[in-house]
Amino acid sequence: MTDVPHSRVDAEGMTADTAFRVRMRRLFGVLQGLASNPATVIGLVIIALMLAMAIFAPWILEPNSPDPYQMPRDWGAVRKPPGTPGHLLGTTNEGGDVLYGVIWGSRTSLQLSLMVVGSTMIVGTIIGSVAGLVGGWVDEVLMRIVDVFLSIPELIFALAIAAVLGPSFGNIIFALAVVLWVKYARIMRAQVLQIKQNDYVDAARVIGDSRVNIYLRDILPNAVTPVTVQATLDMGNVVLIGATLSFIGLSEAGIAEWGVLVSEGQAGIASGRWWASTFPGLMIFLWALSFNLVGDGLRDALDPRTEGR
Amino acid sequence: MTVAVEPQADDLVLSVREVKKHYPIREGALQRVVGHVRAVDGVSFDIRRGETVGLVGESGCGKTTLGRVIAALADPTDGGVHYNMDGMMSRIDRLEGKAARTFRRNCQMVFQDSFASLNPRHLVIDLVGRPLKVYNEAVSADLVERVVELLEQVGLGRQHLYRYPHQFSGGQRQRISIARALALNPEIIVLDEPTSALDVSVQAQILNLLNDLQEERNLAYLFITHDLSVVRHMADRLVVMYLGKVAEAGETQAIFDSPHHPYTRELMSAKPDLEADANVEVRGLEGNVPDPARPPRGCRFHTRCELATPACGWEVDDVVRWLEDAPGMFEHLVGVERKTDFAATLAFDSEEAAGLLSMAVRSEQVPEAMRTAMRRLSLDGDKVEIEFEEVGEIESTVRGDGRVAACVLMPEEVASWKNM
Repeated sequence: MTDVPHSRVDAEGMTADTAFRVRMRRLFGVLQGLASNPATVIGLVIIALMLAMAIFAPWILEPNSPDPYQMPRDWGAVRKPPGTPGHLLGTTNEGGDVLYGVIWGSRTSLQLSLMVVGSTMIVGTIIGSVAGLVGGWVDEVLMRIVDVFLSIPELIFALAIAAVLGPSFGNIIFALAVVLWVKYARIMRAQVLQIKQNDYVDAARVIGDSRVNIYLRDILPNAVTPVTVQATLDMGNVVLIGATLSFIGLSEAGIAEWGVLVSEGQAGIASGRWWASTFPGLMIFLWALSFNLVGDGLRDALDPRTEGR
Repeated sequence: MTVAVEPQADDLVLSVREVKKHYPIREGALQRVVGHVRAVDGVSFDIRRGETVGLVGESGCGKTTLGRVIAALADPTDGGVHYNMDGMMSRIDRLEGKAARTFRRNCQMVFQDSFASLNPRHLVIDLVGRPLKVYNEAVSADLVERVVELLEQVGLGRQHLYRYPHQFSGGQRQRISIARALALNPEIIVLDEPTSALDVSVQAQILNLLNDLQEERNLAYLFITHDLSVVRHMADRLVVMYLGKVAEAGETQAIFDSPHHPYTRELMSAKPDLEADANVEVRGLEGNVPDPARPPRGCRFHTRCELATPACGWEVDDVVRWLEDAPGMFEHLVGVERKTDFAATLAFDSEEAAGLLSMAVRSEQVPEAMRTAMRRLSLDGDKVEIEFEEVGEIESTVRGDGRVAACVLMPEEVASWKNM
């Protein structure tokens, strides 16, 4: 047992403020765990830079009007190499500024990953919780549906849905959301089934606390760790799959999106015009890599076997 | 089954009546029910105000399941637990609304694993203050004071309010659990092996704490344990369980002085004694606890009982079990055709094996009681037909002084055996 020295938690003057401070100290411990892993720190730094890029895009490069998410076309400067004045990373076959695509593409990617991960996490958590808590045939039916979804590879499934709905970036978001919720449902169900076996859930029942309270205070807080880790990993993976779908032409042509940009530039690679595909490709790589690094770090830092013991 | 001294109703806290808890065994894709595990199979006893009832038995005998039924964490399959609500005995699984809440407040539980029973993400103030919040008994500053008061009663203090369970030792955590159980000022606390996971010195402290609290608050305890020395120290009355049934019940001292059931005797002799000669081998129970999905007929203990008589319920399964243990015999058994649990035809793959068996069960290789109980044994080629005396369930009988025991033997016969 590692006891907290008495001097740190004094007998006098303790209020709810103390509880807040103790909880903050615990959160700080998790952050310290994250900070002690160099790979995680690198991932966090890259994510911070990307987020800054997305947030400050209008100040870095003047937004294209009327729609800033459309690539500006400069037909007077087609196929310019990097370093050209006014087109720092060069231009595409159609005179699109690669730098503009890279910077405004980070906004598109952020939008994609937040919307997909946000919606799938909420839907998956609810469905997984219901399956785990109710059990019986409800669980059976829900999990067979999940099995059906899992039996089709993510990319193929999303591709099919997006293709049926027609080429648009919004449809890619929708298709990914439809495909990816099952992961969260499975994780959450497994967590609920395991946690509800714990004596502290029985202890709460003996006290007479309501089912809703037991779920919100005992089950959910103890189940969030793997869901959080999966969400972090998915923040990166979703952009990877989304870019793949864009690349094969399932979003509107000409939008500032990395996958679209890679696709626009690929025809020139054989002729030595490497830049139009390489820079957005590098961004996809860094985005997916950084979130995966942080996700792995988070898994270690939140590991119940090491956390707080 | 009745309890000898019908207690005064207002003296009772809980009355456990013929409680059964069976868990279905499911198999196959369709989850068909193929049998039942009879975890608790008809148990009755009473708990009175301010007394400690010890519930003892080996692991797997159903004592924890019974504790969960009593704390309303599981519904009984049959029978019921009755709670004394203002002089009216009402079944706890039929209570609703306000009455259910009254029972909930008055019956609390402390679990064996002090770490698992405290939510690792909650601070002590959340853990101990939670029952008070649930019943809107206290908020903010008042809540803090009430929690401090509770902590002080269990030997902790204000300095522990804002700590997580993992920052405490096992004994301290169990004190937190006890404080939580006390918060609603209950009439009875179910203690499920509260000290089994603790060091002996810490164990004693917790037991003394429980004793003090009982005196102060006139609490009733149901003390579930496998540890006889603990129960001797704590319990006023004992209920000894074996395979889901009560083997024996009565005053603790009386049972320790003269056990009326051979199982109780065996349990006591299995306990190493500090004062005894170190060279004398501790005699323990032999064999395994039978499968509770197919409990033995007659007396459930007859398969391991050294005092078993022909009237204890010998059956076909006993022969099969003996075959399993006999070297080189079981593989020759090809089929058992049961007429009843007491009569069957055993088929072997050779006449020789069948002959060996019919000789063996007539010899000293099997208990004498089993041989005597055998009504028919005929050898026909590679088949052996066996039939035993049919024996019903051995019911608990009242032995005077509020004692009950489920054994065909008289107390003197059990007692004389210790000198053998």
